Amino acid sequence: MIDFAPIILTLELAFLTTIILFVIGIPIARWLAQGQNIFKTITEVVCSLPLVLPPTVIGFYLLLAFSPSGSFGRFLENFFNIRLAFSFGGLLIGSVIYSLPFMVHPILSGFNSLPSSLEEASASLGKTKFQTLIHVLLPNIKPSLLTGIVLTFAHTIGEFGVVLMIGGNIPEKTNVASIAVYDEVEALNYHNANIYAAILVGISATILFLLYFSNRKLREVKIL
Amino acid sequence: MRFSLQKKLHASDGPFDLDVNCEIEEGSFISLYGPSGAGKTSLLRMLAGFLKPDVGKIEMNGEVWLDTKNKINTSPQKRAAGFVFQDYALFPNMNVEENILFAMDKNASKKLVDELLELTALTGLRHKKIQMLSGGQQQRVALARALARKPKLLLLDEPLSAIDNEMRANLQQSLLSIHSHYNITAIIVSHDITEITRLTSKTICLKNGKIEKFANPSELFIEGEANKMRAVFLSYENKGNDSCASVLAGGRVVKISCSEEDVKDLQKGDEIEISFRDAPAFLRKL
Amino acid sequence: MKRAVTAFFILFFSFHSSCTFAQQKITVAVAANMQYAFTELKNEFEKTTDIRVDAVIGGSGNLTRQIMQGAPFDVFISADTKYPDALYEAKQTAGNPKVYARGVLVLWTTKSNINLSPDLSFLSSNNIKSIAIANPRIAPYGSAAVALLKKHELYQTINNKLVLGENISQTSQFIASGNADVGFTAKAVVLSETMKNKGKWIELNTNDYPPILQSAVVLKYGAQHHPEASKSFFEFLFSTKALEIYKKYGYIN
Repeated sequence: MIDFAPIILTLELAFLTTIILFVIGIPIARWLAQGQNIFKTITEVVCSLPLVLPPTVIGFYLLLAFSPSGSFGRFLENFFNIRLAFSFGGLLIGSVIYSLPFMVHPILSGFNSLPSSLEEASASLGKTKFQTLIHVLLPNIKPSLLTGIVLTFAHTIGEFGVVLMIGGNIPEKTNVASIAVYDEVEALNYHNANIYAAILVGISATILFLLYFSNRKLREVKIL
Repeated sequence: MRFSLQKKLHASDGPFDLDVNCEIEEGSFISLYGPSGAGKTSLLRMLAGFLKPDVGKIEMNGEVWLDTKNKINTSPQKRAAGFVFQDYALFPNMNVEENILFAMDKNASKKLVDELLELTALTGLRHKKIQMLSGGQQQRVALARALARKPKLLLLDEPLSAIDNEMRANLQQSLLSIHSHYNITAIIVSHDITEITRLTSKTICLKNGKIEKFANPSELFIEGEANKMRAVFLSYENKGNDSCASVLAGGRVVKISCSEEDVKDLQKGDEIEISFRDAPAFLRKL
Repeated sequence: MKRAVTAFFILFFSFHSSCTFAQQKITVAVAANMQYAFTELKNEFEKTTDIRVDAVIGGSGNLTRQIMQGAPFDVFISADTKYPDALYEAKQTAGNPKVYARGVLVLWTTKSNINLSPDLSFLSSNNIKSIAIANPRIAPYGSAAVALLKKHELYQTINNKLVLGENISQTSQFIASGNADVGFTAKAVVLSETMKNKGKWIELNTNDYPPILQSAVVLKYGAQHHPEASKSFFEFLFSTKALEIYKKYGYIN
């Protein structure tokens, strides 16, 4: 009998990662969309690195960072009694870093596609930057927001390398579906591997289908 | 209102210094005229607070909006300057009424919306989506929205340039009535001499970042002697004893009788000067 | 003319013989944690024969999958018996797999404040938060560690401290980086060049866990393409010289 806990854990991780990245991705993208300076360029590079780096590299650095032998890991352990390696919290941090570009990039290009006069108009109407963001900018980049949310969710479901490095395969904490597939294959248990893999393919395909379908709808509305 | 502003600007043909110094009577309608790249839009954006000058001072009804010496720079939010953008900058996520409501204070009377919709002839379109409106209708929404905050200063950046002639005349009429209704100080950027003379009482003529002239438009646009006018030569026709030339003058093609002698050196597109010397002119209201 | 023909024949035969010499080359699939011992095995073997040995190093599972897909490997040196047996079942081998060595389980820590003692009761104390083992479903060192913990009647109490590495090298990485306080790994790892002086370790009683058998096998490809060379290398794996090398690198017989 197949264990569904890894699938549920994967969905939970993807869900929380998406929420966290949505909340921090919008201000980052907003800041990056306003003008240029060296700090923004550096931030853009950092935000794009997870795109080009193998996830194992991120996982490896996180493993070093989380280690209680290192200063960051020791700080967490001594002051908060937290150990991030082999914990769901650690995985969440890893996923947030790993999926960062998939949230920031679509939102950033959304902001860049808006004419700057929208923001100026709102300012001349007495609205604060925050009011402008909530009432003017975000409602007008809905397709980009949706793309960011869906890509982040789907990408986190596919996460493997980071979890492999810092997960430790603990049931219901860090044993996500992609690892379960790998384990079943390693155990030469191709039947179970097939079931997990098929479920992942099904979930990812459904999500992407919904994205393209609803983005087309949104675009049609805009043309009208 | 008084302003003196200096800023280094970058145009397509290199940097130049904007340096303007001007005093405008409260409640007047002023036009800003000049070749493109002269700094008209930049000047307008500085007045609205979107662009910060290197050095400068802006005083509006005794209120200091900007004083770089004393590090005062009131944000666009607090300047209460209505701005009408060339691309209208309407919020596509809101309908006509919502665009206007968004601009109003929460506790402002809802009557103002009705009044503004009435004034801009938009009452029937209040629940329409922005994307469903024509250019002229969008421009009226932009105007109503800019007025919803009851600004002391209304800034219009070529608001009518993308609108066809008939609609433009219509909107110019609305602008005039709004201006007198609210007794607002207004500055409009325009290339259209008809529009400038029709709407505004004074024109700032800006060239290379400097104010070249600041005068009554009908004085400003008289070039040389009063009975001469500039035009562009188009063609010449000779039908027996009735020979005439087609010329482009004031945005219209008109026929003027002339002799073959007058046009012998002219080619299509040449700039010419027409003088009303011999025949008397007749004027009649249309 | 006669001389030209002679020269041609001399050239032809010298070329031909160099060809035969080049054919005395075999490719061995080697499990990753055998790689240090393998380098010495290879050197010793090449000293006594004119057969050259190339290695393809990888996880036993990956190598097995490659062999199933028809990878041109002559001999397979696995880190366990499961994969060679699976290949045998799939008729990818020439003959039965044979155990060449046994792995030794050690308990290892890189934390200075942890004292290792052979009775292992310290594992249930509060200052030990995580214990790394290899995934017992996949890796023999993992199932050996679980058996050992059960024997010491510790498994139930420390079950929730266990973190699983996908293989023995990942498990070692958890311990070496200090993310896991202690962990069970292979003696071959703690003796290796890179880990030699890191932290401290104790060898565990081999009677407390089932033997960690490692087997090797001549593959079907080897039997078809290089039967002589494959056979002679396979036999070398069970020679006295080879057994000395296993011992030096942390394996027993």
